[in-house]
Amino acid sequence: MTVEGLGAQHCAPMAPKSGAAAATPAVELLAVTKRFGNMVAVDGIDLAVREGEFFTLLGASGCGKTTTLRLIAGFELPTGGHIRIGGQDVSEEPAYRRPVHTVFQSYALFPHLTVSENVAFPLRIRRLAAEERRRRVLAALDLVQMSGLQDRRPAQLSGGQQQRVALARALVNEPKVLLLDEPLGALDLKLRKEMQTELKHMQKRLGITFVFVTHDQEEALAMSDRIALMHEGRIVQVDDPTGLYNAPVNRYAAAFIGETNLLSATIDGGDDATLRVRWLGHHVVLNRPAGAAPSGQAVTLAIRPEQIVRAPSPEEERAGGLAVDGVLTESVFIGTDLRLIYRVETGETLICRVQNRAAATPEPGERARLLLPRGALRCLTS
Amino acid sequence: MSGRPGWVTRRLVYGLPGWMTAMAYLFLLAPIVILVAFSFNEARSTVVFTGFTLDWYREVFADRNIARALRVSLIVAAASAGLATLIGALAAVAITRRRFPGRTLLATGLAAPLVLPEIVLGVGLLVFMSFSGIRLGYGSMIVGHVLVTIPFATLIIRAAAASLDPRIEDAAADLGADEWQTFTRVTLPQLAPAIFAAFLLSATLSFDNLVMSTFTSGVGTTTLPLRIYSMLKLGITPEINALGALMVVANIGIVLIVMGRYLPLMLNKPRPVEPERKN
Repeated sequence: MTVEGLGAQHCAPMAPKSGAAAATPAVELLAVTKRFGNMVAVDGIDLAVREGEFFTLLGASGCGKTTTLRLIAGFELPTGGHIRIGGQDVSEEPAYRRPVHTVFQSYALFPHLTVSENVAFPLRIRRLAAEERRRRVLAALDLVQMSGLQDRRPAQLSGGQQQRVALARALVNEPKVLLLDEPLGALDLKLRKEMQTELKHMQKRLGITFVFVTHDQEEALAMSDRIALMHEGRIVQVDDPTGLYNAPVNRYAAAFIGETNLLSATIDGGDDATLRVRWLGHHVVLNRPAGAAPSGQAVTLAIRPEQIVRAPSPEEERAGGLAVDGVLTESVFIGTDLRLIYRVETGETLICRVQNRAAATPEPGERARLLLPRGALRCLTS
Repeated sequence: MSGRPGWVTRRLVYGLPGWMTAMAYLFLLAPIVILVAFSFNEARSTVVFTGFTLDWYREVFADRNIARALRVSLIVAAASAGLATLIGALAAVAITRRRFPGRTLLATGLAAPLVLPEIVLGVGLLVFMSFSGIRLGYGSMIVGHVLVTIPFATLIIRAAAASLDPRIEDAAADLGADEWQTFTRVTLPQLAPAIFAAFLLSATLSFDNLVMSTFTSGVGTTTLPLRIYSMLKLGITPEINALGALMVVANIGIVLIVMGRYLPLMLNKPRPVEPERKN
């Protein structure tokens, strides 16, 4: 065997491995179920978090998002299904053998250790040399802008500072995946906004996969590459923020993210590709969504308040959609926007959102023609 | 002028708690003050104070029997408190952290000696020892004292263990610490003050114990309280007063050590964490 042969042998396993790594999801959940007694917290979910992605589990409290995170971390073992981290099946591995670190909502700093001892903890466990340890602790504290407070105890820090130490402690070991359980939940609004931007930048710069849990949809939309919306232990929709906002798959998703007008309508004909939908005696032809019955089925039309056109031009009306007359019942000033509530023919209400321009503030009682453009309407069957 | 309750009535009513506290302290502390005072009394009488002397202290220190009894007491106190604290700490962590069959039984069993009359425990242990042919001595006495002190050690450490945030142990595991590392580096250091307090309380209880010692002491293992009790049969002497005064000072010393260890911790307590948001 030649020297080159040896070299090739050494390199050979490396090349396909790095090639495959791009395709292997950082975290993969396959039909994962978690039951606590009779309660099903996580109900057979499938999920693939891509490498280097900022992935958010979003949902109301009790939807199973934190349990899902705890399953990935290894604090809970699944009742069924498999969890893979970097391609490795870790379903039965205890938390301390998984290559992920967690930032807890309560921070969970060690109260008997100083800031730098807290950050050094994972390095001590790995028995790193003192010199290397000190270097990396300082670098991590520098990253979260906490240098100078090394010798404080957690009890002597503010909530925001504890948050930063918790982050440094979770990052010092350079984990492949960082799990964050509502890490900003306990901070006040202003600090939360600052930390959102900072976390996002940090994630991009370090190239670490983030799995982030929050119940705050704005936070999720602002920070995430992709969002999994959860409800009652299941995943409703996985999409990027624009997709989740513009193309909700069902009523729950449409109502959970932002504000939506949900209108009860009926299918009234159509063909293989299109659907004729009737609402208040008006008809509109939409693209056929999957699972829609041919005729007579009750459906929901969803439209965002900012997409309703007040007093449309003839061209706009000709482009298609539902046009109705409404009477303004309430006008709410919310800073950049005005929120206008119209009553239409049969007493249904339509919420409409327009930008606040000082010149035209409509008064209640004002009549207006409202156009629900074809392209902005989504037909939901569930 | 009239209509309101009188000045005297008001003073009496509002002053009552204060007065009661003062009286309680008086009844508690007066005997100790008198004991200490008479330990410096020149006369052998314990009724009339005739003059100041340190002779009785000299006699206490010269008494070989007292020295031997003190040594026995210290050995038994250290050994039984050590054992009670060790068992108590492990049991407390198991009871608060683990779910296992018989968990409640263990918790109740460890607290049971609190409500059982000590004399019954003592007789029971004595019967058991003679039944199984175990000679009375250090061994039997240490076992007896562990029995008496273990409820206190367990309860103190359990209270501390229950107040620990379980997420802190989750965090340790998350950062790569296995169960043993989590226990030694995270759980134990947080429990250290409680373990220290449990040890000192157990040692003090053991040192003061009379009933259990009466049943379990053997030849040559007479403890200090047993010694004092047998000295009393010959009448109350100023020597006993002096010995009592020394024990009071030693006990106050221990209390001060505990407070010195605990007070800074209490003043520097971490703020409670936010209520956990469970999904």
